[in-house]
Amino acid sequence: MSLWDKIQKGLHEVTEDLEKTVANVASQVGAVNVAPSTAAQQRAAEWQVALQQRRLPSFVQERLRATAAGQRPWIQSGPVAALLMERSHGIHPLGMVGGNCWYHFGFSWTQGHYDGWHQAIDRLRLEAVAMGANAVLNVDMRVRHGDGEDMDYALMGTAVRIQDLPPAWEPAVATVSSLEFVRLLEEGVVPVGIAIGAEYDWYQPWGGTMLDQANQAAPFAARYWNMEIPDLSSFQENVRRRALYNLREDGRKLGAGVLAHTQYSQVFRVNNEQGEGFLCRHIAIGTAVSYEPSRAPQHELLPTVSLGGPLRSFRPHRKDLL
Amino acid sequence: MTKEVIAPHAVERLKGLRSQGSHEGIFTSDLSVNEFVMVRKAEFEPLGLVVGSCIYHMGIQYGSWNQNMEMDVLSQAMYQARELAMSRMEQEAIILQADGVVGVRLEVKRMEWDQDILEFMAIGTAIAHRSGVPGFKGVGGKPFTSDLSGQDFWMLLEAGYRPMEMVMGSCVYHVAHQGVLRSMGNIGRNTELEQFTQAMYDARELAMERMQQEAADAQADGITGVQLHEGSHNWKPHVIEFFAVGTAVKAMEDADTRVDALRPQLVLPVND
Repeated sequence: MSLWDKIQKGLHEVTEDLEKTVANVASQVGAVNVAPSTAAQQRAAEWQVALQQRRLPSFVQERLRATAAGQRPWIQSGPVAALLMERSHGIHPLGMVGGNCWYHFGFSWTQGHYDGWHQAIDRLRLEAVAMGANAVLNVDMRVRHGDGEDMDYALMGTAVRIQDLPPAWEPAVATVSSLEFVRLLEEGVVPVGIAIGAEYDWYQPWGGTMLDQANQAAPFAARYWNMEIPDLSSFQENVRRRALYNLREDGRKLGAGVLAHTQYSQVFRVNNEQGEGFLCRHIAIGTAVSYEPSRAPQHELLPTVSLGGPLRSFRPHRKDLL
Repeated sequence: MTKEVIAPHAVERLKGLRSQGSHEGIFTSDLSVNEFVMVRKAEFEPLGLVVGSCIYHMGIQYGSWNQNMEMDVLSQAMYQARELAMSRMEQEAIILQADGVVGVRLEVKRMEWDQDILEFMAIGTAIAHRSGVPGFKGVGGKPFTSDLSGQDFWMLLEAGYRPMEMVMGSCVYHVAHQGVLRSMGNIGRNTELEQFTQAMYDARELAMERMQQEAADAQADGITGVQLHEGSHNWKPHVIEFFAVGTAVKAMEDADTRVDALRPQLVLPVND
């Protein structure tokens, strides 16, 4: 049972059968017999309904609204230097917003990544909209691994309001900090979201791969030969191409280009009833940026040579030289 | 930042509006945000990620135990497989009508199920000049290839050079073992192991030669950003690969006027 299933089962127990829950909790904490408070039960129930209905529980909505209205202290993640930039450029931090999705892979790890992240992004947007934000900056992407075939996709960032602009119905989601965000805005580039391209496929060569066939044709000799395995090459290339096509299409939905920071691909050999097969998967994750290609960057650029870090490139560890 | 400072397009986007069905500005790349800005500063636009891959079975070769020698079967394999991956990536760039490919990474991975099968992957971002100015293509009118980052690409153009081709030289070498008598003779003495020194020299020299030859064939003036990798792809301990890779560059016609306009400033950060 995945952790998500456990959580769901737990939530179900809480709402359905109080006595059993109490006994269950008691057995786990040993001698200390603690029943969940009514408030905690209410919260749990409300979370369940909210997640099902793709909205926020009322207490979260209320806290976010109060924070955005200045009745509670604002929250900002990221460096203090960013705060300076935010002040000078009219960016007001509202509060931290997050979204996550603990996902169980029933049939596909690869597709799970696509769905898990998208669900988490949608939930992050939900909180940002509740705060009346224009953008969420400094968005951090994290995963947690479960006990079995499951994983949690988590996002956290700072919702900001930009001076003189009305709240957005679809706030930009940017993985860059506000320092970079400001610089990009001045260049006419807006980081708008996170794009994902994922693809997997099976290859079951009848009579083995080209290498196996060469081995059959020339036993003992073929293993001394240099040769490409063309069928495996093109199989893998096609998976990769389709993943990148999906990445572009995901970007297109946001009306944006994609700067892929993460690329991951794997080929496995699997033995099953049909014989030897290959599984290939490729995942690409990137920052989606919206801009006008015809509009050249306006800002002047001054090349500088820093006497700090970059010139001292030869800095080996001591153990490397001794 | 008041609205006047932000580009109108950016303001629309931040209000949550966007133009639907536009093909403008839809691309993929593995550039970082900074690289993206710098490529655009250089008056180029990213077109798309291009990849080429090759899964390759390396032949088996045994080196003589006590002889320095190039393992030519392995050298050829490393060379041919990389070439195949690179040329497939180039094909994709040609289809996109690119001027060239920047930020090319060449990766080699060993397959889990067979140590003689290696996977080679070349990946980079195809770019084209924003207003279609000609004269940036590489050898024979094909897109140029380069392992330079977006920032380096901008600096290269500012310095009056254009990239021609990513060039490489590879040499897999077997370093001879010492004979027992020889080892016995060295007991208690501080001495150079000339045979080993020679092997390193020879292998490096062969790799450099080959890389330079490629650049000469590409009619380049020089090679920049060269990196020399020494690696062993799960071979016997005495087998080592020297792999030199860099970007062959050629001076542009208006190089001198460009360079005159260049005034790099020295700065000393006080952060640390």
